[in-house]
Amino acid sequence: MANNNQSLSNYKLPGTRGPKDRQAVEKPKEGKKTLKRLAMYFAAEKKMLVCLLVAVVIVVLCSVYAPNLQSQAIDKISEGHFNELSGILILMLIVYGIHSLCTLFQSRLSAMLSQSIVKRMREDLFDKIVNLPIRYLDSHSHGDIMSRMTNDVENISNTVSQSLSSLVSGILTIIGTVLMMLYFCPQLTLLSCATVILTIAATKFLSSAMRKFYRKRQVLLGSLNGTVEEMISGYKTVVAYNRQEAVIAEFNKTSDDLTKTGIIAEILGGSMGPVMNVINNIGFVIIAAFGGYFAISGVISIGVISAFIIYAKQFGRPIDELAQIYGQIQTAIAGAERVFAIMDEECEDKSGTENMENATGVITFKNVNFSYVPGKQVLRDFNLEVRAGHKVALVGATGSGKTTVVNLLMRFYDIDSGEILIDGVNIKDIDCRELRKNTAIVLQDTVLFADTVKNNLKYSREDATDAQVEEAAKMNNCHGMISHLVNGYDTELTPSGLNLSQGQRQLLSIARAFLASPKILILDEATSSVDTRTEKHIQDAMVKLMENRTSLIIAHRLSTIQDADCIVVMDSGSIVESGSHEELMRQKGRYYELYMTQFAGNAT
Amino acid sequence: MLNYMKKYWFFALLAPLFMVGEVSMDLLQPRLMSTIIDEGVLGLSNNNVGNLNLIITTGLKMIVLVTLGCFCGVMSGIFANLCSQNFGNDIRKDAFEKIMSLSFEQTNTFSTGSLITRVTNDITQLQNLVTQCIRGFVRTFLLFAGGIVCMLTLDLSFGIVIACALPFVIICVIFFISKANPMFSVLQAKLDRVNNVMQENVSGSRVIKAYVREDYEQKRFSEANGSLVKTQLDVLLLFSYMTPIMNIILNISIAAVIKIGALEVQAGSATPGNVMAAITYVSQILNAVMRMTMIFQTVSRGVASGRRINEILVCTPTITDGSFDGKTDVRGKVEFRNVSFAYPGMRDKLILNHINLTIHPGETLAILGSTGCGKSSLVNLIPRFFDVTEGQILVDDVDVKEYSLSKLRDKIAIALQKSEIFSTSICENIRWGNPDATDDMLIQAAETAQAMEFIETRPEGMQSAVTQGGTSLSGGQKQRLAISRAVLKNAEILIFDDSTSALDLKTEARLYEALRKHHSSVTTIMIAQRIASVKDADRIIVLENGSIAACGTHQELLAESSIYQDIYNSQLKNGGEIDG
Repeated sequence: MANNNQSLSNYKLPGTRGPKDRQAVEKPKEGKKTLKRLAMYFAAEKKMLVCLLVAVVIVVLCSVYAPNLQSQAIDKISEGHFNELSGILILMLIVYGIHSLCTLFQSRLSAMLSQSIVKRMREDLFDKIVNLPIRYLDSHSHGDIMSRMTNDVENISNTVSQSLSSLVSGILTIIGTVLMMLYFCPQLTLLSCATVILTIAATKFLSSAMRKFYRKRQVLLGSLNGTVEEMISGYKTVVAYNRQEAVIAEFNKTSDDLTKTGIIAEILGGSMGPVMNVINNIGFVIIAAFGGYFAISGVISIGVISAFIIYAKQFGRPIDELAQIYGQIQTAIAGAERVFAIMDEECEDKSGTENMENATGVITFKNVNFSYVPGKQVLRDFNLEVRAGHKVALVGATGSGKTTVVNLLMRFYDIDSGEILIDGVNIKDIDCRELRKNTAIVLQDTVLFADTVKNNLKYSREDATDAQVEEAAKMNNCHGMISHLVNGYDTELTPSGLNLSQGQRQLLSIARAFLASPKILILDEATSSVDTRTEKHIQDAMVKLMENRTSLIIAHRLSTIQDADCIVVMDSGSIVESGSHEELMRQKGRYYELYMTQFAGNAT
Repeated sequence: MLNYMKKYWFFALLAPLFMVGEVSMDLLQPRLMSTIIDEGVLGLSNNNVGNLNLIITTGLKMIVLVTLGCFCGVMSGIFANLCSQNFGNDIRKDAFEKIMSLSFEQTNTFSTGSLITRVTNDITQLQNLVTQCIRGFVRTFLLFAGGIVCMLTLDLSFGIVIACALPFVIICVIFFISKANPMFSVLQAKLDRVNNVMQENVSGSRVIKAYVREDYEQKRFSEANGSLVKTQLDVLLLFSYMTPIMNIILNISIAAVIKIGALEVQAGSATPGNVMAAITYVSQILNAVMRMTMIFQTVSRGVASGRRINEILVCTPTITDGSFDGKTDVRGKVEFRNVSFAYPGMRDKLILNHINLTIHPGETLAILGSTGCGKSSLVNLIPRFFDVTEGQILVDDVDVKEYSLSKLRDKIAIALQKSEIFSTSICENIRWGNPDATDDMLIQAAETAQAMEFIETRPEGMQSAVTQGGTSLSGGQKQRLAISRAVLKNAEILIFDDSTSALDLKTEARLYEALRKHHSSVTTIMIAQRIASVKDADRIIVLENGSIAACGTHQELLAESSIYQDIYNSQLKNGGEIDG
């Protein structure tokens, strides 16, 4: 009667996100294949795995054997053999001692196993993500990638390591219990099976109903969270258009639906316990009635009845559990599929070997064709030659392909046909690291890291000395600004660098590029998100940066590029004209038109 | 917060009552079992001759009782959920409604992220708290108390076992909880660190690749991840002791019950059935203690959440409604009288300093100035997104504070720089401007805003869906949608808060052209960065450090204002040359 072994182990670690009980179950697409790959992760921990299994087996053996001792003890009491009792009790305590010890090993091993797998899987995934081509990151939601990294990986390891123990112990318990029951009394065993059938039927019925509602609840919860997020972050617009009432009405509707579904789901979930209780007790009565009958007719002893009652309970629990584990494992495998999907992506091509030591910075685009999406050509037969040390500006409307040129030169994307050469060497043959080390880039959206100012500057050159860092800052008019920060160069930037203004951030990222002392410099709309007078300040910094370097500048504001050696006007992926500012102004072509628009505000 | 419970007091009462039913059945069971064993099987009072009839009748009784218990349990679940979820729903709706009435300074202090958590996560915690209180707590307490009572009525001497075991269990639980709780905050910090590195890598991938720092990032991640995993493992290892220790206490208690039971049976004061029942009670009681600690955890989390939600509920909007219904003879006049403004909480840092400005009906006013000079603040004061710190703003000759907020905002259409686009269809996004607009009006507005050209290229046109955050649209497209929305509103005053920054100049010029043509009577206030955008305005003001540094037409400013000339030159260095 005492379900003493299992009840206490139900204690869950507070605060952790263990496998969700009876939550919506996802169906994996290629279960078997994914399972095999998952198994590989476990295979690396063979020793631990074997120890874990041994511990589980011992735990199961103990929990199958202990009720037998308990029933013997009761028998001794009812038979009046009180002096034999102490021996049995000591043996019982020893068995329970071993049981506890092995439970301890089991939980420690499974903790270590799961954490070591989490660690490896996350590192593998991260190594992969770092080496993925920009194309992948550009075309996939960052939130989704993050969630695979954290939620999915954790879910996999938790579920699998916990379920693995439960699976093994569940199956062993069933087998062990059935064997013990058969050994004691085959007739009663058969009768107990009635309970099992009831248990399976009830579990199946309830959990399929539950799953439906849990899934629906999950969807509603998602949409509720979405509404809240959208409306709170877009609150200004909501208020400006007096839409509060409509928004509240929509929210209330979702909220009401969620509540209704939630109530049903929770009621179904909560009924599982009482229903199982009824089934267990029916089982008990069957065993007691028939056991009593057998005992009266002398087939079995009463101790056997007591043992049977425990066994019958022990029997029903793993069945209920296995049903849950099945759902958990399926969800975990679906998560694993998502993780492996990233791991299966192709890495960047880094096969080039040529170095750039003697390169002077001549850039040649020869008949380059490129499209991000097949069929939507972005660059068409693009030809461009930039001489060493020259400053070339790319101008043109949004979507004309300016940024694409940069993406291709840095090999963030690879061209479809044609070739890009640096000093006559195809960039595909140049060692990718070399290429990028010698090409510095300043982007419109500044990327700074949650680290000190100094480390952010040194990001472009790890071995730079403090003096070099300071010199670079001075050259870029940001030494003064940095000195004014609370801790100067050691000031920690907040995540995403919010404690600096946009202009300050941009100055830092230019100083960073400067420190790299690259052969080629690329400025991609580096100043378009700051106002024109701050821009002026930044530009002064950039003049020094561009001295004696091949520079490619993409600019929205024509005022910033008038002193370029060559201005290239692009339209729909091709060059429409090029030349110096004066030349182009004289030609009165596209550049003149753009220039006039920017000045006059009206299209000519 | 208790007021929210009032409505559901009936459920809140029924749930524990049914729970009493369920627990009583649970507690009666071991007794019946003991009868079945002692009288039915062993036949103790009948010279050790079993009584099959007794087994069956008692058995049937048991099944009836247990079914009754099941019914009570399910009913209790139904009422508990009806109570807690409806309670949570009411609070959630009220909290959201309250948020939708808050002033910007309040939403800013709460921060968007925290408001979202409060409406979603915290409500769930609160619901759990209620369920635990009216169900879990009641059940556990009854099992605990009932277990002790039943056990003592079986035989007083079993009480010794419980008296000895209880302190151990309690000490054990307190020890683990107190050890683990500080670890959880460390765990959270480490998790944040891993997420942060991850985030930086995903969004800053271009810079990482450009400076060839993949190896460094791998090392950085590996450190953060290793440290997280280590802490996690520490927590798990700590808890790995918990179950075995608890089991040992329980099992020793059971052995003790058997031993004591044997002595009692020997002395004739107890029966073997009694011993078996006692074993069940012991595990029931000790389990209840364990569960109680979990309930306390839920409760403490729920209380913290409740406090956070309450902070929202007790908030009163700092900007209060006026009573004026907005019917005026003048239409589209805005007047700033000696207006000063500082953001709440930063009172000593004046953003706007004694601004005096009158904008006449139908006028187009452009505002120019560097980042942080107070341009956006100036226009945000007109629809009362914020209140002035000093001075007065009049719309159509009436102080904005006298207007009913919705009437005031009806007069104003505003398009923001960071266009807020919602995840519905394009046409629904525009329709926000005027829910009653006809399709023709929608198209007209989109045409004025130069949005039609890209809407038409989409296969589903106006019906195309917009993803959350508008990620399926470019910056310029989002801005044009926001402008369409503002135009559709057909308000007296139209405000563009740097809302054309992502448009190329040609498109921008066409937009202003169309506005002049179709909406010439509307007062237009536009904030811009580019001289080209503002030069055709009736009047341009240049803001500098919160004051109006210059005011006039393009030609006037070009001739007189040095700041304007400075901006002009910074944008068009060799401007003089164009004439030639």
